[in-house]
Order: sequence, then structure tokens, then C-alpha cells
Amino acid sequence: MNIGRNLLLLALALLCSVASAGAVKIEISAPGEQEIPLALTAFLPMGPDRPEIAAELNAVLRADLDLSGLFSLVDRAAFLSDADKLGLNSAQVDFAQWKLLGAEAVIKGGYRIEGGQLIVEARLFDVISRRMLTGRRYIGKPEEARRIAHTFADQVMLSMTGSKGPFSSRIAYVSNRTGKKELYLMEADGHAPIRLTSHRGIVLNPDFSPVGKELIFTSYQQGNPDLYRKEIYTGREARLSHRQGLNIGGRYSPDGREIAVTLSRDKNSELYLLGTDGTIHKRLTDHWGIDVDPSWSPAGDNIAFVSDRRGNPHVYIVDVDSLEVRRLTFDGKYNATPAWSPDGERIAFARMENGVFDIHTIRPDGTDERRLTFGPGNKEHPRWSPDSRFLVYSLDRAGEKAIYLMRADGTGQRRISAPGGDDSHPAWSGYW
Amino acid sequence: MKVPEKHSWRRLQARLEPGFKRMLLLSVAIHLLLPALYAGLHYFSPPRQKPPVYRVNLVNKPVKNPQAGRPEAGPEKKKTVEKAKPKPVVKPKPAPKPKPKPDVKKVVKPAPKPEPKPVAKPKPAPEPTISNAAEQSLQQKLETLRREQERDDRLAALRENLAREREKIDAPVGEVTGKGDQAGVDEANYVKAFITEQWRYSPYLGNNWNLEAQWLLTYSAEGTLLTYKAISSSGNKAFDDSLLRAILKSKELGQKLEKRTEFEVTFNLRDMQNR
Repeated sequence: MNIGRNLLLLALALLCSVASAGAVKIEISAPGEQEIPLALTAFLPMGPDRPEIAAELNAVLRADLDLSGLFSLVDRAAFLSDADKLGLNSAQVDFAQWKLLGAEAVIKGGYRIEGGQLIVEARLFDVISRRMLTGRRYIGKPEEARRIAHTFADQVMLSMTGSKGPFSSRIAYVSNRTGKKELYLMEADGHAPIRLTSHRGIVLNPDFSPVGKELIFTSYQQGNPDLYRKEIYTGREARLSHRQGLNIGGRYSPDGREIAVTLSRDKNSELYLLGTDGTIHKRLTDHWGIDVDPSWSPAGDNIAFVSDRRGNPHVYIVDVDSLEVRRLTFDGKYNATPAWSPDGERIAFARMENGVFDIHTIRPDGTDERRLTFGPGNKEHPRWSPDSRFLVYSLDRAGEKAIYLMRADGTGQRRISAPGGDDSHPAWSGYW
Repeated sequence: MKVPEKHSWRRLQARLEPGFKRMLLLSVAIHLLLPALYAGLHYFSPPRQKPPVYRVNLVNKPVKNPQAGRPEAGPEKKKTVEKAKPKPVVKPKPAPKPKPKPDVKKVVKPAPKPEPKPVAKPKPAPEPTISNAAEQSLQQKLETLRREQERDDRLAALRENLAREREKIDAPVGEVTGKGDQAGVDEANYVKAFITEQWRYSPYLGNNWNLEAQWLLTYSAEGTLLTYKAISSSGNKAFDDSLLRAILKSKELGQKLEKRTEFEVTFNLRDMQNR
């Protein structure tokens, strides 16, 4: 029986291979277009009309999807009658119309206010396969329309790429708009900035905890650069490390259990590992050179940092277990503030060339170095979005420092912080 | 007296280096030979003619046909000839034309009726007063008209070429290597180009460039997709979904095939890897 079955299978396999062998072979090694045409229709009222809500939902979604670089948005002027229909399931959508416009995906949605709550229905359809890719109902306050739109944009990214977008995350940064350098928090597109500290001194180098809604940062509130921790929603604050000398550049480990930090308690800047209670777990470097700016690998086994042990400041990587140090960068006279991408693929850093800092990225093995920014003004303090698709950095141009965003390949650069002060040292939260 | 002279000569010879006399004679001979050679060369060489000198006043020289000799004027030689003629004609004109004027005066008295006719004639009367400047401006206008005409002709030719090129682009093309069949069409290339055009994949969909998938597509002789089957998938959902969309968009090739044909299409991102 077994022999007979095997023979039958073999015969079938041969038949398949023969059928395939007669086929004309074609290789297509790149797509015809590198953007997906998407139609974003206006959110329609499912009750009393609130045009300001519909406008906000559409504007935020449009900006997020544009930043993603994934889509080319179909011109609204070309929309046909189906754009005016709600169509929350695939049977109600006239896909032929959208196909006619060249759209491969269409976003439709509606909203209503019910009992003081804003209810938003949002759908993403695949025009070609005529199916719904994702659909969500969001319930919130009417003033949370922005947040709802960001969340749906994240959902669209998840549906299209398999990984969630970063649009509903937050960015912390330092600003002197009150006259003193304080810590601020804003949405990923720069909206709704709020001040978190009132230390009336100098605040530096924020970093988000990967597990909770809290931040660590360095502040000169007590005269010494000490490391602080702050819970964002409760506002509770604690001094984590106040050893003599520097307590700067704190970075949470990926599991949130340890903090890599630069201390100069031995009169020389060295990297240490602290517990979340501030106790020293381990000394990572021991060299006469200055070692600063640690950044964890996503696996938590290596830390990139800056050292001048060979003369000029360069990026090095230290193995957290063996404490072996290897040099990563060799070019440029000043390399600073490395940031390891959450997907582990690249390390971003700022390099000074011809007196101007620009953002570069490099693979952790030291290959494939790329310069992402050009032009006047110092671009510094790069930090990755939680999905590794975007970078946030500070740009000092025309006498004002501002926070900018760009895609990981350097395209789509845009200012996100409002004018009115010097903004620097951005840090991107995890998924919020 | 002679003895002391001889004596002094010998004394001088004794002071000079040996062979001085010979060297002196040689030097004198060379000095005599050089002028002789120079004079001889001059004597036997043919007399040179002075090159003619032309004085040209580039600013004030009157130019009758400024375009003469230029390539633009080439194809319209006839016109230039016609234009050259009026000049001599214009000058004699004044002679016959003044004639009617006295005639008019004479005729006016006996018969006032013919007056309107001579009144109409005075129109050409200003012609004799055409100055060189007016003539030149007229010629320039004609030149500009001619140039415009030439430009229009060129534009028309370009448009024709463009139309021809567009026709070529719209038509299915064969391979650059000349492998296309008699009609210049290579089916595989056409299908490849058609499916490539339908395939949309953003580099921001993922960081992995080493993706590859194979599909078996069967098209009828009418160019309609009959069956499609994934032979191997990439394992990346975004990539595989984009391929499915491209295949579904390629249901109709818009061109007939020779016969029902199977295509084994390999999709990858090889050309995007160096981004």
C-alpha cells in the first residue's frame, strides 16, 4: 500500500514539475511603483453633523499616512459617488469606482456623538481583492478625535506592513521656552506639548521606560547633574542617582530592569549599570578616556557608547557580559549620541564634518554607513521611533533649535515642535 | 729698423699660443662666409609678394540681404532673389510714376470724371520714398516671418516624430536584443512589463530585501488570466499580498497571445536592494 501511495505521489510530483517545466519563465526584480495608491475619504456623520470632528480625523490621518511614505493619496477631486456613501462593510463599497481611480486601498469611516461620547467607525479596504483589511470602532471624548485618528493610522500600518505604526506614541524633549531648560512631552506629530518639570535649571537627556509611562532624565536642580525619574501621569518624581560628579545619559535597558548611565565619581567619566533603585550593579568601562552616551541593543547584550580613548570621540560597543569593547566608527573627528534602533538593524549617531553635525546610521557590525541629513545647521540627538521606521532629532538652524522627524532613510524631514524656544534632546517613547 | 720689427713680431709670436695664426684665419673665413651665405639665400629665393590688405567697415557697411549665406536662408533662395529684384525696380519706379501726376493735372481740366482713378494711384506714390532703413525693416520683417514659418515646420515635424514614437511606445515591444518575433513582439516581455506595471510595493513596507516568491499564471490565447497559483511564497505577508494584488490587477493583459500560455513568474526585490 505504502509503495503504491509513494508511486502515486511521485507520479503527481512529476506531473506538476512537467507542467511547470513547460511554463515560460519570467523574473520581476522590482515593483513598477513604490507607493500604494490610497483613497482617504471624508469621515461621514452617522448622526448630527460635526464637521470639525470629521476635519480633524481626516487631517490627522492624512498627515500620518503621508509621513509613513507608504502611500500616494488619491486626489479627492477625482472621487466618485462612492466617496459620499458610508460603506462600512465590503458589500457596501463600490470597488469598481475606486479601481477606476487607480486606488488599491480605500479608507472609509463615520462618526457620531452618543451620550457625550465620540464613536468613530473606521475601515480599510483592499480594492483589488475587494475585502476589508481592518476595521475598528473607537469610543472616546469628542476632544480625543486626534488620538483616535493616530490610533487608526497605527492600525493601518499594522494591517499593511505587519508592524504597528508609531503615531500614537509620545516624544519627550527639552525646551527653554520658559527661560529655563525644562522637560516637555508632545504627541508624535508635535501636537499638544505639555511641560513635565519645573526645575528652573537645566534638564537634559530624557529617556522613556520601556515598561511604564515614566521617564528618566538629568537635572541640575540640586546644583549637581543628578539622575531623576518621573512618572508621567502621577507627576511623581525621584532622584535616582546623585553621586558626586556627572550622573548623565541614563538609558533604560530593553527589559526596563537596569539603567546604563555615565558617572564620574572616580573623576573620570565611565559607564555603569544601575538598578531601578539607583544602586550600582556593574561598571561597564574602565579607561582613562571619557565614556558617555550609552544606548542599548534591543537584545540587551550590548551597549553602544561614545569614547575618546583613541583620540577623537568615536562610537564603540561594549559587551555587557564580557565587557569587551570594539570600535564601531572610524571616520569623522567627532561622533556622538549613538542610538540603537529597536529592530537592532542600525545605529544612528551624529557626526561633525566641516563644523556641522549631521545624522548618520551604520550597521552594528560597522558596515553600510549612510549619511541621512545634509545642509546647514547641527542635527543632533537622533532617537528611533518604536517601530524603527522614523528618527527624531534636533536641528539648530537660523538661531533656533527645533525638533524634526524623518523616515529612517532620511526622507520626509519635517519640523514638529512649535516655534518659540530652543528644543533639543528628543526621546521617543515606546508604543503608548 | 726692419730687424727690430721682425724681432718684435717673433717676440709676439712667441708670446701667443701655438696655432693662434691658424685659428685667426679660420675665424676670419667664417665671418666672411656667413654674410655671403645670407646674401646668397636672399638672392636665389623667389621674391615674396605682400599679402593684400582688405579694409572692412563692419559697422556702417550697408547689408542688402543680411541672411544671405546663412543656413536659414538656404532653402529659400528663390525668395531672396525676388527680394533682390525689387531694389532695382524700386528705383526706376519713381520715373514712370511721376508721369501720371502731370497727366492727372492735364486731364483734370478737360474731364473731371477721371479724377477718382488718379486719386487711387497716389497710393503707390509713397513707394518711391522708401528709404533704405524702411526697406531693411521690411526685409527684417520678411525674415522673421520666414523664420517663424521654418520654426512652425520644425515643430510640425517634431510633433509628427513624437506621435510616431508614442505609437511605438503604446505598441508591445520586442526585446532590445532583437529577440522579438516577426511582429516585434515578445510575449514574455510584454507579460513581464504588464505585471511589473501592476505591482506596487513600498520600500517602507519592510526592511527585508531578500524576499522572493514564485507564481504560476495561466493565460488564455485571448490574454485572460485563467488560473494563478503560488508555487512558493516569501513568508512576508506584505510582500505576498502585494503580489496577489498585482496578479489580480493583471487579469486582462489587453493583448492576445499566440496560444494558451503558462508563465512561471519569480518576484523579488533584487533591484531595490541597494536603496
